[in-house]
This record gives sequence, C-alpha cells and structure tokens, in this order.
Amino acid sequence: MVDILGRQHAAEARGTRSAPILATRGVTISYGDSTAIRDITLEIPEQKITAIIGPSGCGKSTLLRSFNRMNDLIPSVHHTGEILYHGQDIYARGVDPVELRRQIGMVFQKPNPFPKSILKNVTWAPALHGYRGSLMQLAEESLQRVALWDEVKDRLSQSAMGLSGGQQQRLCIARAIAMQPDVLLMDEPCSALDPVSTSRIEDLLFELKSRFTILIVTHNMQQASRVSDYTVFLDRGSMVEFDVTDKIFTQPGEQRTADYVMGRFG
Amino acid sequence: MSELFASNVARRKRHANLFRWICAGMTWLSVLVLGIMLYHIVAQGWSSLDWRFLNSFPSRFPNQAGIKSALWGTVWTIGFIALFSIPIGVATAIHLEEYAKPGRLRSFIELNIANLAGVPSIVYGMLGLTIFVRWMHLGRSVLAGALTMTLLILPVIIIAAREAIRAVPDSLRSAGLALGATRWQVAWGHVLPSALPGILTGVILALSRAIGETAPLIMMGALTYVAFVPGGPGDYFTTMPIQIFNWASRPQHEFHTLAASGIITLLSVLLAMNTIAVIIRHRSQRSRTW
Repeated sequence: MVDILGRQHAAEARGTRSAPILATRGVTISYGDSTAIRDITLEIPEQKITAIIGPSGCGKSTLLRSFNRMNDLIPSVHHTGEILYHGQDIYARGVDPVELRRQIGMVFQKPNPFPKSILKNVTWAPALHGYRGSLMQLAEESLQRVALWDEVKDRLSQSAMGLSGGQQQRLCIARAIAMQPDVLLMDEPCSALDPVSTSRIEDLLFELKSRFTILIVTHNMQQASRVSDYTVFLDRGSMVEFDVTDKIFTQPGEQRTADYVMGRFG
Repeated sequence: MSELFASNVARRKRHANLFRWICAGMTWLSVLVLGIMLYHIVAQGWSSLDWRFLNSFPSRFPNQAGIKSALWGTVWTIGFIALFSIPIGVATAIHLEEYAKPGRLRSFIELNIANLAGVPSIVYGMLGLTIFVRWMHLGRSVLAGALTMTLLILPVIIIAAREAIRAVPDSLRSAGLALGATRWQVAWGHVLPSALPGILTGVILALSRAIGETAPLIMMGALTYVAFVPGGPGDYFTTMPIQIFNWASRPQHEFHTLAASGIITLLSVLLAMNTIAVIIRHRSQRSRTW
C-alpha cells in the first residue's frame, strides 16, 4: 500500500513538484532484529522544506539519518533498498560518506557545538576540506545568515559553550551551512529550545529555503504545518502519507493521518 | 504531617550526619598519616640535603656521597618511559575506543590489558631481563630499563586513556562526522583535546609509579653503584629508589640520613611532575562543559 502511495505521489510530482534531490526506493532499515522503517519509497523535492512527522519511535530519525549515512556509525544497523542523491545510490561502491556529508549537512536535536571558540566552530570543517576563500569572511557570512553575527561578533574567540541554547543551535546551523551543502537535515532542531528561540529558528528556515533543500524531523505538528511545504507522515516504521503540507493538515487522505494531526493519538 | 508517613526526619538526619563525619574522618586520617611520614623524612633528611648532595656521586664515605647519578638516571629513564608509553598507550586507547568493532578479539585484548595491570612488577623485571637485556642485547642500559618500565605502566595508561576517551559524549563525534570530517580528524581535533585532562591524570599516575618502582630494575640488573651520569640510552644507570634502598640497607646511621634526603629529592621530582600536569589539565579544562 505504501509503495503504491509512493508511486502515486511520484506521478503527481512530475507535474507539480520540482525535481527530487533525494529519493528512497523500498528502503527498510533494521537495528539487529528489529525493523525501524519498512519499505519506504519517497522523493524529496529540491529547495523545499519537507517535514517528517509521526509518533515517537516511528523511525523518523532513522529515516533522516540514512540520507547522510549517519546510521553507518551504529554497528548493528543494516538496510535494504536504495537511497538516491541526485539519482545516484549513496550506498554504491565508491561513494565516500565523508564527501557525501559535505554535501548533506546535519543539525542535531541537542545543540552540540564544539568546545572551542565560536569562530573555530564555523571554520573547522571548511578548513579541513581545503576551503580556498577567506575563512573569516565565510564565518561572517554564515553567522549573518543565521542572524547570530551581531550577537557574537565581539566575542568570536570566546568558547561556544558560553552561548545560550538557542544561540548554540543557530551556531550549529551556521556551522553546517558554512560547508555550502545542498541539503540540510534537521533532527528536531527546536525540541531543546524555548519558544522564542524556536520561532527564530523557524524564521531562519524560510530564509534558508532559497538556497538549501531542508528535511526536518519534528514532534511539533504546528511547527510542521508552519514551516514545511511537504509533509511525510510515518507510523510504526511505515509511510502512511506523503503530500503537500496543506493537504496533510486540512484534508488528509488517510484516517490514521487525520487522527494524528488532530491530536487523537501519538 | 500526613498520617500515612512515619518519616522520622530526626533519625534520618542523624544517620546522614554520622555518615558525613565518618567520610570526613577517613579523609583526615589519610592526610594525618601522610603528614607524619613527611615530618619524619624531612626531620631526618633535611640537614644533609644541599647542593653538594645533589651534585655528588655515591661514595662509601657518607659525607661525600650524593645522589647525582641516581637523579640523572631517573630523569633519563622517565624521559624514555614517557617517550615510549604515552604514544603507544594513547594510540591503543584510541584504536580500542574509536575504531575497533566490538567482538571476540576486542574483548580478548581488553581482558588481557586488565589482567596485565595487575601483574606483580617483579614479573615485568624478569620479562625485561629475558627480552631486552639478553635477547635483544640491550644490556643493563637506560633503554632496557625504560622499555621494561614501559611494559609495566602501559596497561595503566591504556585503561585511563580509554576511560577519558569514553567520557567524551558521542554528540561531539556526530557533530564532526556530519560535517564530513574523517574519524581521525574527529579524534584528533575534538575527542583527544576533550579527553586530554583525563589522559594526563592517567599518564601522571603511571609515570609516578614508574619513578617509584625498584624491583623490576633490580631484577633486570640496573646497578646500585654508578659513579657517572648516563650520557645516552645505551649507558648503565641507577635510579633514585635503587639508591635510596641501597643507603637504607646499610648499617651506618649516616647513610640512613642520606636515604631520607634521597626520598625528599624523589618526592620533589614527583611533585614537580604533578604540578606540570595540573597546569596543563587546568588550561585544557577551562572551556569545557557539556
């Protein structure tokens, strides 16, 4: 059923959506013996915000982490099916996860700045990858883009651990976009933040949409409906529905989706 | 107060206080014992501790005997021990924590390291005598002594470094890897700097143990009478604990005084090493909270 749904949407997509930048074909991911996500086929449109919603333990994060091969770090994880980035299987021989992760950046649930200076947080990875331009300028641009520059420009050499939670998370986003990725994966980026910081990050997402494709996992249904263009609804590892966000929240095609977005379960 | 609870606050507080006083008492007991020991040593050895003592070779005349060769022997051996044990120990810890996949081989290595940490030091002396002195023909040199001691303290360094590396949160590794860094870049750029204070603590404890060890060196045949400063890794040597043991085992009272002066010298070297470690640790800890 899910597969059919996926194909239906793929067909729709040809007319209404921009080209998929990321796609999965029949992806199943297991931790040892327990299956986290089952037979998921979907296409993520370019330069849009796609939200992944669903109850706890439905496999949202597992799906998100499969796009930059962060699941590789967990020894017991194995998968079947194909995950495509610009049409190429990212698990194919010869694909280096190090190079892949330069193009597909990630922001985590809990702000995790490096215990180093604010400047170093932004410039560390570009320097490793041999960034040819001025690192200082790159840092300024990246921090400007997350609206953090004015708050930190006088203390760039101070430790990032001294920033507030919301500032730390914006720094983590700046750190990710400094690598000029194609795609930004965000794993509940606001769940550890207060409402003010959350709304700042949501504003930021709109800004970033023009340059990046954003995939955001969220627990917060209002957030998904506010920020995203498309929404994927997962339940117990399966994809129930994938559609334009407005449709998911106003006239969902599935009863389970309706129950979830209305807050009847989850 | 609710009828349902017989909460008995007064009694619980008495217990809490009692426990607190027991813990404080134990702490002060060990400080006291240490203080008494230090007092005795200093009272006995302070008078003969002077520049002449530090700058003279051992002699059968107590008023001419000094610790120069043993002091420099200790400096040479500890230098080589640090040179060998820190890179090997830390690299092993990085391998086990950051690269090795869990499995039988890793468990086997872990079990062995844990067991080796508990092997009596004299056994390492025999091993050093067999392998380094005889088989590798290094002789009773500084190098053979340092290699023997390296074997002795390596398990301690590995275990301490592993604990320190394991305490670095995974979120930091994820952050680095998600930016397209390699495992090595994450380990070198973020994990090691964060683990440095813990690693240093382990290294200093291990090196302090190596400074104080006598048995393995005597076993492998380090000399007790050396009238020259070692000039390189191939020279004969003695160390401070050997010299102190030698003086303490003589019948003449004057030599016992020299032994006490030697102990003060040894403790001072230890204190200096610890101070350096504390300074480095403090510097790297300043900005670290997660």
